[in-house]
Amino acid sequence: MTMMVGVPLRTAWLPAVLLTALTGCSAADAGQGTPADDPTAHPAHAAHIAHEAHAPHPHGVADEVVAAGEPADFSIYHAHSVWTDQHGERRPLGSLSGRVQVVGMVYLSCAYACPRMVLDMKRIEDELSHRADVGFVLVSIDPERDSPARLAEYAAGAGLDPDRWTLLHGDDGDILELAALLGIQYRRMANGEFIHSNLLTVLDADGQVVFRQMGLGANPAATLGVVRSITG
Amino acid sequence: MRALAALVLALPLALPLAAQAGGEGSGGGAGAIRAVPAVPVSAMAVVPGGSYTPLYSPEAGAVTVGSFRMDRHPVTRADFARFVADNERWRRGAVPAVFADQGYLADWRRDLEPGGEPAAPVTHVSWFAARAYCAWAGKRLPTVDEWEFAARADETRTDGLADPAHKARILQLTMRRPGAGTPVGSVFRNRYGIHDMHGLVWEWVRDFNTVTAADDSRGGDRKDAQLYCAAGADGATDREDYAAFLRYAFRSTLKGRSTSGVLGFRCAADVP
Repeated sequence: MTMMVGVPLRTAWLPAVLLTALTGCSAADAGQGTPADDPTAHPAHAAHIAHEAHAPHPHGVADEVVAAGEPADFSIYHAHSVWTDQHGERRPLGSLSGRVQVVGMVYLSCAYACPRMVLDMKRIEDELSHRADVGFVLVSIDPERDSPARLAEYAAGAGLDPDRWTLLHGDDGDILELAALLGIQYRRMANGEFIHSNLLTVLDADGQVVFRQMGLGANPAATLGVVRSITG
Repeated sequence: MRALAALVLALPLALPLAAQAGGEGSGGGAGAIRAVPAVPVSAMAVVPGGSYTPLYSPEAGAVTVGSFRMDRHPVTRADFARFVADNERWRRGAVPAVFADQGYLADWRRDLEPGGEPAAPVTHVSWFAARAYCAWAGKRLPTVDEWEFAARADETRTDGLADPAHKARILQLTMRRPGAGTPVGSVFRNRYGIHDMHGLVWEWVRDFNTVTAADDSRGGDRKDAQLYCAAGADGATDREDYAAFLRYAFRSTLKGRSTSGVLGFRCAADVP
């Protein structure tokens, strides 16, 4: 067994670099898109973690034969978490399957970044001419304050079409698990605010991460291209 | 030490806890977990709460940590073999790729047979798998604050790190990992009765993916944010605590599905 102390030494700059994708509720603009398997989406490529090389298979590249009822190998719907949506309905995470979903993790009392993230999502919705086979999901990272009723109030106020938009309330452990599946970092601060990655995730109909749009106010062209390519 | 570990493993599961401590998630989280109703109490130590100043935190000052229980040893290969025997979807070859990379249990002899030293810490496990194991055991992963707080103790003091000699010893232990195959219980037993916090394996924590560095960009413009990023380790509260710096740096490289031959875990639980 060789010593691995060289690993942390070489990766010691990473904590600072991670912040480039993280902001509080008031921070940098100028986003960019990255394919989900692009190491810049998460700088873990520098670590000597065994076998990082993988990529969720984009459609058309490797259509896998999947046993009925069993999600694809890279599907986040392998997680069996159960959520409550803005209508008060209990929803297994897997109930999002069957159509492309654009997912953001937010908290509603956020004054700046979260409304901007929702605007970015609405822009994608507009550009796609509100097609029915692309859904939008807002997952609250603040389950204490963002009750399902609060989610409903927000959805109504922001004019989010219930046919396309799903707002989810869940418990802390499930939120943490989903964040890990999507590669999102967040932290609750003592003052009740959150720091979180400003990151939109595109899931294909099977729940595989196919694209990440990073930053606020990003040009959605790349995201739109990916969504169009997998919806046909 | 091997005998001690064997003793812990052999403890009958007939010492039920008053409460199922801290299992989280609506449905056991990542997949159906068959619950094991009892936790051998003596395998865990109680850590009375207190406060400490994290090496990195988005907020200045001390953090309060509530009382909790923590496994005295990292989870062993033999422990994990019982878990995979009981939970088919967490076997090597069956686990969905979204939950573990290709290194998952890569050093096992067979899917159900770890081989090697059964009392050595299990490694090559992802965060999702570690979390599922702890849920199966009726426990949970420790938070980064719980782990770091417990790791400050030496044999006699809850905050051994106040002593430069101990700090140097911790760094030495961190730099000289004995390697895979070393049984748990090999590194000193701290004041709480917890072994192996330093120098055996790195360990997963529940909130490995939360933000641990300060964010000076709040309220600032992009230039400020870039200045902060360039500042690197300046956010550290104790520049002498190099072992802690290594731990934070290592954690920051991980994804939930990452596995590594030097990364294991232990479980924690709320106090009954």
